[in-house]
Formats: sequence, structure tokens, C-alpha cells
Amino acid sequence: MKQKILIVDDSFYMRTILKNMLSDAGYSIVGEASDGVTAINMAKETNPDLVTLDLILPDNTGLDVLKAIKKDNPRIKVVIVSAVGQEAIVKEALNHGAQSYIVKPFAEDKVIEIINNAVNDTVAA
Amino acid sequence: MADKAREQEYKEIFVAESFEEYDAINKYVTELEKKPGDDKLVGEIFRMLHNLKANAKATGYLNVSQFAHTLESVFGAIRNKEVKFSGKVVPVIFESVDALGLMLKFLDEPEKAALDPTLEKNLEIILSPASNEAIDEKNIKHYHTAQNISLSDLIYIPIRKLDDMMNLVGELIIDRDRVVNFSANHEDPGLKLLSSHLYRITNEIQQAVIDARLVNIGYLFNKFPRIVRDIAAVENKTIDLEIIGEDIQIDRNILQILTDSMLHLVRNAITHGIEPAAERTKNNKPETGNITISAQNDKDTVLIRISDDGKGIDENMVLQHAIEQNFITREKAHELNKKEILSFIFEPGFSLSKEITEFSGRGVGLDIVKNAIDSLGGRLSIDSNTGKGTTFNLYVPTSIAVKGALLFEIENNSFAIPLIHTDAVVTLDRMEIHEVGNAMVADIKGETLRLIDLKGLFQERGISKPAYKQDLADIVSVIIVSYNNRQLGLIVDKLIRQQDIVVKPLQKPVDNIDIFGGVTLLGNGEVCLVLDVPSISRNFILKKKEMPAVPA
Repeated sequence: MKQKILIVDDSFYMRTILKNMLSDAGYSIVGEASDGVTAINMAKETNPDLVTLDLILPDNTGLDVLKAIKKDNPRIKVVIVSAVGQEAIVKEALNHGAQSYIVKPFAEDKVIEIINNAVNDTVAA
Repeated sequence: MADKAREQEYKEIFVAESFEEYDAINKYVTELEKKPGDDKLVGEIFRMLHNLKANAKATGYLNVSQFAHTLESVFGAIRNKEVKFSGKVVPVIFESVDALGLMLKFLDEPEKAALDPTLEKNLEIILSPASNEAIDEKNIKHYHTAQNISLSDLIYIPIRKLDDMMNLVGELIIDRDRVVNFSANHEDPGLKLLSSHLYRITNEIQQAVIDARLVNIGYLFNKFPRIVRDIAAVENKTIDLEIIGEDIQIDRNILQILTDSMLHLVRNAITHGIEPAAERTKNNKPETGNITISAQNDKDTVLIRISDDGKGIDENMVLQHAIEQNFITREKAHELNKKEILSFIFEPGFSLSKEITEFSGRGVGLDIVKNAIDSLGGRLSIDSNTGKGTTFNLYVPTSIAVKGALLFEIENNSFAIPLIHTDAVVTLDRMEIHEVGNAMVADIKGETLRLIDLKGLFQERGISKPAYKQDLADIVSVIIVSYNNRQLGLIVDKLIRQQDIVVKPLQKPVDNIDIFGGVTLLGNGEVCLVLDVPSISRNFILKKKEMPAVPA
């Protein structure tokens, strides 16, 4: 059974790249969201195995989304995919339950490796 | 590799989205000038620049990325109240936004958008709060943006809007044909001129909408290198995939419907077609298997081929399985030619495979492919040579709503049959028709063709009536149709003409008559039923029960 991924990013360009990359890698993309409220609702609706989450979103910061998703459904793995690379932010995200953190721009094979590990609950890179 | 089309697609998306972001930044900064305390505006500008920075870097436009990064830092500082959006900072920001716009305009010619050194210095000063240098306002360049508004050439449009347009074009064509017909029956030069013009214009609109819906078939084909690699890895085979015809264009919805079918066929090619390396070597074949997916145009049809150089499909084995699984009786089996035998693999429930692999599951699942092609009004055929390989041929229309059709007459009523299923039209002398068992056949170029008397079929409302040779005229017109590798000859009263038709589905209460797939309205106002060739074929080719005996 294909594992389900929800993509959250306010950039259509980024969502397209991630969608193609991850479905080529064998995942089923069950939804895309471009803002926090939609992301939280879609997570509840589609019950994905993993969410890729951008941190800078129009209405909420990504951290609020992270907290909400982990609270609603702690089973869902959340991987941050963001251009924000400061160590303090990375630490904060991991502390709030993010499985791993990918900094944009990313290399395709690295992303796939991190997502694969995250979904299978191996220790985050 | 085949990533070229994808790269182009990504670039187009990046360009379109960047211009949107640039416009937003411009708008917000202008608003911010009036409301410098508005933190939300600052946040939005920051977000736009943040995305631009990341996406430009990903697409390889480093000058844009670096500059966006600088501006992002400035607005980060404004957000953190380290810098105020006031005084001399304001014109520097406006100039920066203009510089950014220029960079986006000349993405592929960055030398035309080189940054003004004074601007760079000014930004540096803004970003170093400890600096005592003053912003150089004398040399600030002013880009006259009011003279330079440019819109992105690419727009996003939901496919639904194009679907709506397509339906309307269909309606328009029906009415147009009515008008043309009316004009033909009335002597009025003014009307004739108008209707002739209307005819032309409508054709052009139809063409334009069809064209707007076209996408490159490469968008689908380019997903396959990765898929082939993964399946091959599981199957322990090495496969070389060749892709031809990525630039062939096809209706976006048709392409959507084809995705599952292509996936199925490619999987089958790897799992069942290509032999394990040892076996290939034994048969003097290279260890690496070859699979080709190709597309080519043939007027308003696209031919998609999935081809492998594997072990081919053994028609004797297919026939054996078909008999064992009760798809045909042993007696009738010897009447079939190779193409007809091979077509059993498309029957639901038919299975050749005894193994279940991770990807293939039980059976071959090719009936899914057949259903998809049928639903498109397309055509599926298969060529195979034992030991050499197999090729699946998918003929699909370039566009869905309008089909080419052949009109014919039975008892003064007009009917239509989609051209895609029509192989040829012949005229036969009654003497050339023979009765074999309870069926009528004729010899066409050395092949035995089964004939169906459509008049008899229609009269009995779908229940097959024995065809009696003596009921036929001396000279009969026969339309040879092809479905699923098999051919049938349909005897009709008269052929009318070829024409493009808009097929509408049958509405209740007549929507369960399976031999008709829809209805169309002719120019003279006549309602014309459209034959469903797959359904007719099913009724006559795979019969397991005998037809009633011919009277003595």
C-alpha cells in the first residue's frame, strides 16, 4: 500500500516539485495546502502518513501548524521543508515534534532519503 | 534524459509565480509607504521575498536568489524593528523592487539587469545599523515603472473551465449544422454567405478550444524512467527504456485517463514480457531488456505504443488458457486467427500468470486497459512474436467531444459509427457470402470475415437474430469494423458519408440499450444513433451459446 503524503507550502512551484518528486518515489500525494488553516483541516480529512511542512505560511507560522497536527493526530510524521535555516528554528521545530528538517534548496535524493526514513520512523538525519 | 520537458515546465511555473510575487511585493510596498506601521504588510512582503529566494535558487537563477535574500534580510530587520521603513530607506526599497522586476524580466540575460553599485551600497548601509554612513540619495536611479507593465504570458486555468468551453463548442456545432442545412434548403444568397462564414468560424473555434486543452505527452512519459527503474529492481532485471514522441500533444483529460493503462502495460512488459537475464542470454539476446514507449500523430488520432523485446505472448498458451477458463469452446477455437486469439488477454478475469509479484498481482489486469481505451472511443490492438517481443498499440483520439464518423442508412434511418473503429468499406455480391454453421461469412483478401446483418439486429432490439442469406439484397454494402484485434463486417443498406459528429450520451429511459453508445443530431435535424462497436463485437464474437439453426 502506498504511503500517503500531504504537501504544505505556499508556493505552487514548490508544491509541484515536491509532488512530482515524491510520487515518482512511490508515495501517494493525498493533498496540497497553501495555508495553515487548510493544512490543519486537510490533515484531519486525509489522515496522511506524513506531512511536508513549510514554515513561512500566509496565515499562521508553520510552527503553529506543526503543533496543531501533532496534537490532533500524533501518529502523523511531519517533516519541515523550509528555506529558513537558522539553528534556533530547526531546534524549535524538532522540539515541537517535527521528525526531520529539510532546508531548501534541496537535492532530490537527499529529500527522498529523509522522507523514507521519516515515514519508517528511523532516526532523523 | 527525459527530464527536459519537466525542467521546462518547472521554469514556466517559476516565471509565472515570480511575476505574481513581484506584483504583490510592489503593491504591498506601495501600501506600506502609506501605512508604515502595518506589520501584516511587512510579513507578507517578507514571505514573498522568502519564496522568491528559495525558488530562484532551486531553478538556478542565483542573481535573483541573492538579491531576494538581501531584500528578505532588510524586511526581516524592518519586521524586528531594527530598521524603520521611513526617510531615505523608502526610495531605496522602491528602487530595489524595480531592480528585482528587471531581473525577472531578463531572467535569461542577467547582464541586462545588473545591479547598480550605489543601490547595493545603500542596501548594505541599511543592513548595518552600526554604520555611520549616510545613504546616497543623489545617485539613486529611478526606474520608470509606470511605463513598463508586463504581464506574464502564462496563465493558470482550471481544466474544468476548458471542459465547459468544450461542451459549449459541441452545442455550437450542432446548431451550426442546423443553420447550414436550413440555408441549403432555402434560396437566399445572404443566408448562404452567412452560413458559410459561420461554418468556417465554428470550425476555427473548435480547433482553438481543442488546442488550448493540449498538453505534451512527455508530461506522462517522463514519469516512467523512475517507475521502470523501480520495478526492474524488484524483478531483478536490467531494462533500457526509450521514450519517443514526448512533444506529441494530446488532450489533457485523455492523457489523465491513459495514465493507469500505461502503467499497467509497462509493468506487464517488465514483469511478464522481459525474460530473466539468464534466459535472455541463452536465447542470444542481450541481458538488458528493451522497452520503448512512443507516441505519434495520425491526423486526429494519437498512436501510443508500448513495446518490449521480451519473450512475446504464446498464442497457443493463450488459446489453451482461454479454453480452460471457458472463454471459448474447443470447437470454435480453431476458427480464430492469431490476432483474435491474442485479444483474449483483454477479457476480464483472463489470467496467464501463475505468480503473484509485488507489482503485478493476480492475472494480467488488461481489461482495465481495454475499458479505459473504450471509454475514450479509442482502439487497442496487440502484436506479438514468440521469442521476439510484444507491442501494444493504443489508438486514442486527440480530442474527446468531436469524433469522425461514418454515416450509414438502414431502412431509411441514419446511423453513425465512429471512424476509429472502422477499417474499411466493401461492396459484396450476395454470391460471395457463405453460411457456415449459423453465421454468415465472406472471404475478404484471404481472410474470413464474419458478417452481421444490422437490419436484423436492430429489428430484434439487440437480440441476435439468425442472419439469413436469402434476406439480403443482391449487392450488399459492408462496413468492416475492428475491435480488440477482431474484425466484423456489418451489412448496411447504404453508406451516406463521413462527417465529424458531436456524440451525446443516451438519456433515460433508452440508456441501457448497449449496442448504441450515444446519439448525435444531424444537420437536417434528424436524430442519429451512434453504434457502440465494442458492444456489438461482444455480442457476436465471444458467443458461447449456439445460434439457432438456419432453416432448410
